[in-house]
Amino acid sequence: MSRSLGERKTKVVVHRRARRAGTLSAVVIASGVLVGGVIAGRIDWTDNAAKLDAALAEAPPVQLATIPAADGLPGRGVFAQFTSTGHFCLSDAPLDSPQMGGGGCNAADDPLGGTSISASLAYDGGPAIAGVKDARVIGLASAEVASIDVLMTDGTSRSAKLKKAKVGSDELQVFGYRFKKADLKRGLGPTAIVALDADGVEIGRQPTGIGD
Amino acid sequence: MTRFTLLLALASALVFTGAALAVESYGGPRYWYPGEGAGSSWSSSTNRNAFNKATSGYETTVTFIDNASYAWRATVRNKDMVTYTYWYSSQGKKAHCKTHTGYHWGGCHVS
Repeated sequence: MSRSLGERKTKVVVHRRARRAGTLSAVVIASGVLVGGVIAGRIDWTDNAAKLDAALAEAPPVQLATIPAADGLPGRGVFAQFTSTGHFCLSDAPLDSPQMGGGGCNAADDPLGGTSISASLAYDGGPAIAGVKDARVIGLASAEVASIDVLMTDGTSRSAKLKKAKVGSDELQVFGYRFKKADLKRGLGPTAIVALDADGVEIGRQPTGIGD
Repeated sequence: MTRFTLLLALASALVFTGAALAVESYGGPRYWYPGEGAGSSWSSSTNRNAFNKATSGYETTVTFIDNASYAWRATVRNKDMVTYTYWYSSQGKKAHCKTHTGYHWGGCHVS
């Protein structure tokens, strides 16, 4: 009687241990899959960034507009690149080194990112505006945009000239504007880039700013 | 034949890992709230800094901070799917990225 009770207790303990081992294995496997998935996701994301890097280095830049030399600063260009990764990139770069600039990329079939205006603010120095030595804004606008206003921190605005540009099969417009040193010295920076139609009605706005 | 296959697999893995390591992720990929930022470690060999997002429409800034004046260099701010900048200098620098709008998925990379 006591022997069979002992055997039953042993069986229960063995079952419990087997169940615990099973649960532990399941937890370990699930954790492994989860961690593996996260690592794979990170590698995939980083790999895509590396691919775009490489594609930008290979894609031939096409100059769409010029930012003239001013205030002792050299002229720069607004360059477009279609990459093998399926991106359209618009950058602000030195005229003699078009691949040494900065800007933004969107899907090649949607260069404006679904809006009527896509602008990039670039500046050197700061982040406080008093330390900024050069600041520029470049961008693309849809065909219905008639003018671009750069709104400033004191409520005034500056005008950026538009130039027609064919981007892939799209008839768009491009602009490049360099902020005057006098504005920067007075602590004036941009707050928004505004697109207006032929009647002066606002049809697009992109907030921006230096330093914040 | 088996050894050759194993060597080929090892070589491929090394090439893949090398390509992935050429770009260093220093922020994310993750979800970002407005105002959040990240910074890389100091380096003199990096020159490209990018904030890659899942979609366009979220305003982000990328810049380099030099290790002498701690000024921002070649800063770019936009709402494109990828915000990127180059700063070719052998000076010590760290990459910095920041998001200004939205709650969005993305990652900051330096190379």
